[in-house]
Amino acid sequence: MHGWPVILRPTGGDERVHLVHAAGGPLGGDDFALSVDVGPGARLAVHSAGATLVQPGAATDAPARWTVELQVGAGARVHWAPEPTVVSDGAGMESTVRVGLATGAVATVREIVVLGRHGQRGGRHAGTTHVAVGGVPLLAHTTLLDGADPGLCGPAGTGGARAVGTLVRAGAGVVATLSGRRGETADVRWAWSALDGPGEVLMAVGTPAAVAAVLDAEGRGAAGAEDGPRGAVAAERGSPVPAPGGS
Amino acid sequence: MLPVLLLADSRLPSGGHGHSGGVEALVDRGLLRTAEDLELFLEGRVRTGGRVVAAAAAAACALAEHAEHAEHADRAGWADWDAAVSARTPSAALRAASRAQGAALLRTVSLAFPAPAVTALRALPRVHHPLVLGAAAAAAGASPAEAAGLALHHVVGGASTAAVRLLGLDPLRVTAVAAGVARSADPVAAEAAALAVAAVVAGDPTVLPTEGSPLTDVLAELHRASEATLFAS
Repeated sequence: MHGWPVILRPTGGDERVHLVHAAGGPLGGDDFALSVDVGPGARLAVHSAGATLVQPGAATDAPARWTVELQVGAGARVHWAPEPTVVSDGAGMESTVRVGLATGAVATVREIVVLGRHGQRGGRHAGTTHVAVGGVPLLAHTTLLDGADPGLCGPAGTGGARAVGTLVRAGAGVVATLSGRRGETADVRWAWSALDGPGEVLMAVGTPAAVAAVLDAEGRGAAGAEDGPRGAVAAERGSPVPAPGGS
Repeated sequence: MLPVLLLADSRLPSGGHGHSGGVEALVDRGLLRTAEDLELFLEGRVRTGGRVVAAAAAAACALAEHAEHAEHADRAGWADWDAAVSARTPSAALRAASRAQGAALLRTVSLAFPAPAVTALRALPRVHHPLVLGAAAAAAGASPAEAAGLALHHVVGGASTAAVRLLGLDPLRVTAVAAGVARSADPVAAEAAALAVAAVVAGDPTVLPTEGSPLTDVLAELHRASEATLFAS
């Protein structure tokens, strides 16, 4: 493998790990796989030290590949929340995150993809997320982005927006307490949606800053929801952000 | 061929007229205004969410062919394939729309095409539209690729009809757009069907395609919360 080096650095006792890209970001043709087994009852939070910048390979049109397998044992909790992935012009990336939750396990998985650095239209990104609870598929979803593809930047894709973000909450006892929360401004459109099983997903499309802000704010709500249904989130539920101009 | 055409007819009672395929939410926000916008929408939709429903319909068609005998029909594991469609539809509003149309179509085809697979689907508490379409297509003599084509035909037709109604677009121009998109959708149907048949042979719904449309999913949730909409989705 001539993949880009990634270092796992414990940063918060033994529960918190940062992914550090030791030699810049991934390049086209790189192939990187990470497999994480979280033991029964353990807690793990995975962050990254900064945004992942995907750049074209020097000698190949092949995309960079990034495959993550998260196996979460009984009663364990995982918070997967790397910083955004930014796909430069001419670059391509295929990212797959597979999360398998055992009985009683809970995971939150946060992902943001940004098309291009400032002033760029952005490269190609295929981001696939699979989440299964007790072996039963809960979510199987791929987002295709390509700043040079009118169909994927159009009304059936991003509608011209540069960033797409998702936040998945899944696992034992996760009820869709946040489902129904939604919002719409000039910078971002977002909504929580209940999944067909123990989980829910927040989907946001907009500017990079606004998508990150929604995921930050709603992520705090998700953390509150895990602490108990009568926490701060439950109190906020009575006033979901109305959709403006909903003619 | 004629029985299959019946399943392509927009006059088939299947509740499709109540759904815009995401067009109304875009029109309400000024994100889809012209026939050119519609073309861009359909082109993107066909190879993302359209590819998923096309594969689901093709899989159902192949499953129904494999379960032609009544004693096998209920062992096709329909619930697992239905769950696979759910997992590929993160928007609860779009799942509800798919199931509402699935129920409506199932009522129609239970009488029109009472094959074992169609009857087996009635045993499920609820079922997604492309699975009913695929099972009925098999009963009407269609191949999995044709079932995939039927699913894409309804994606294109439903959105096009809604665009004409909501925007007052020229129906001749919209039909020309739909014809162009239909031509580019043919290979998508063939490829989705090949994936679906492989999935059925392997008995593994998890290998069905998974593409979605980010804005469509978000707007489906916002649309459901809007008042006074013409279409349910």
